[in-house]
Amino acid sequence: MTGQAFFVLTALAGGPRHGYGIVGEVADLSGGRVKLKIGSLYGVLERLAAEGLIEADREEAHDGRLRRYYRLTRNGRGALAEEAELRAATARVVRARLGPSGAEAAG
Amino acid sequence: MSGNLERRYRRVLRLLPGWYRDKWEEDMVAAFLDGWLTGDPDADEYITRAAGPSAAEVASVAGLAVRLYLSGAGAPRRHIAWGQAMRWAVLAVTLVQATRGLDTLVLTSWSRHLFGWLPVAPASLAVTVPGGPWPPAVWYLVCYAWIVVFVTLVLRYYRTAQVIAALAIVPDLVQVLVGQFGARFLAAPIGPWAFWILLNLAPVLAMTAFHRDGPPAAPERWLLALPAVYLLVYLPLLALQATGNSAWLPDFSGLYCLMVALACLAHAPRARSRQAAGSGVWSLTLALLAADAGAYRMFSIADYLHDPHLISVCLAELLILLAAVALVAPDAARAARTAAPAPPPCPDTMAA
Repeated sequence: MTGQAFFVLTALAGGPRHGYGIVGEVADLSGGRVKLKIGSLYGVLERLAAEGLIEADREEAHDGRLRRYYRLTRNGRGALAEEAELRAATARVVRARLGPSGAEAAG
Repeated sequence: MSGNLERRYRRVLRLLPGWYRDKWEEDMVAAFLDGWLTGDPDADEYITRAAGPSAAEVASVAGLAVRLYLSGAGAPRRHIAWGQAMRWAVLAVTLVQATRGLDTLVLTSWSRHLFGWLPVAPASLAVTVPGGPWPPAVWYLVCYAWIVVFVTLVLRYYRTAQVIAALAIVPDLVQVLVGQFGARFLAAPIGPWAFWILLNLAPVLAMTAFHRDGPPAAPERWLLALPAVYLLVYLPLLALQATGNSAWLPDFSGLYCLMVALACLAHAPRARSRQAAGSGVWSLTLALLAADAGAYRMFSIADYLHDPHLISVCLAELLILLAAVALVAPDAARAARTAAPAPPPCPDTMAA
């Protein structure tokens, strides 16, 4: 799973969001490191929808435009949990290898 | 209120395939405008007049368009066929480059007596390192790099393959530029430029067609194709060279034309029967390769203008290529319009 897909799924784990809502949430979650462009976002959304990890939730009118909201599917929730576990395990290994000196250097 | 800004963004979205726009355009426009508009009428009026999609935004849409056109992710079959054919054509061109690298590796090893059981290599098989600004080590490195590019591409390490290939074409570009300046733009050779553009730059750019969404190639078959092409094509050529019959050898461009023509002939029965699954995509692949080989042959003729006999040989090679590709062209045209889903790619036809 790419970093962008991971952040998009994490953004949707908090509840359904529309396109720009996902962009904002991803920026918040990543501390401003990941700033998704709309073309990149919809590339990720289209791929996640094709894999059955997200689906359309509802449409709402806003300033004369329709906002489509997306939500995680059951499979998406499972895939996100699996990926989070994998990343956490990797991080544990890295921390163990770096030891206290690595933590100090990072801090 | 959002009129001008919206219009500018929709213009950028025209880069995307129609089937994709039908599905996602309104949503993308809404998300884009949400990022700009504040809800304050005065501020929004100014924004819609003055603002437009940033270069990064345009680049993200362009990147998505390239991926959609070439990968076929969720695309209609026609796009899938184009993407697949492009990937196979790139694999075939890197296979040709890798075979040249393998040839250099074998000849260098032989001439340095690394094969103790073989007799001393004949002088006619000595590897000739082209002169230029680079030490010979760079030239050898570039030759071998193509083997690595081919293997990493087949094994799906796409990013690695793209980076190595992009680096590998730089020394050749410098070499061509030095040749160009050395000739002071008068009677500068065209062949090296054609080679660099059609066999170095074009495949590197077309490698954007490879990414995780595309169906994987059958690695064992493509990997086997490397020694197979070497044994079937290069060894007979080496035999001719070693026995002093190198006058019969075509140049690299001619060899490329003849190899593609042979592949077309081998594939023609499947293309005509239209029954074999994926035959249309193979026909399209061969048509792309024929276009590449034909263009290289045409441009490199310019370097033989002093010799009418060589010009006749070049034209004969072009005619053979044209006649061979005509056999698969109808099938390729059909695949370009609507193609059946392709089976895992098999390079056997190329090695034929």
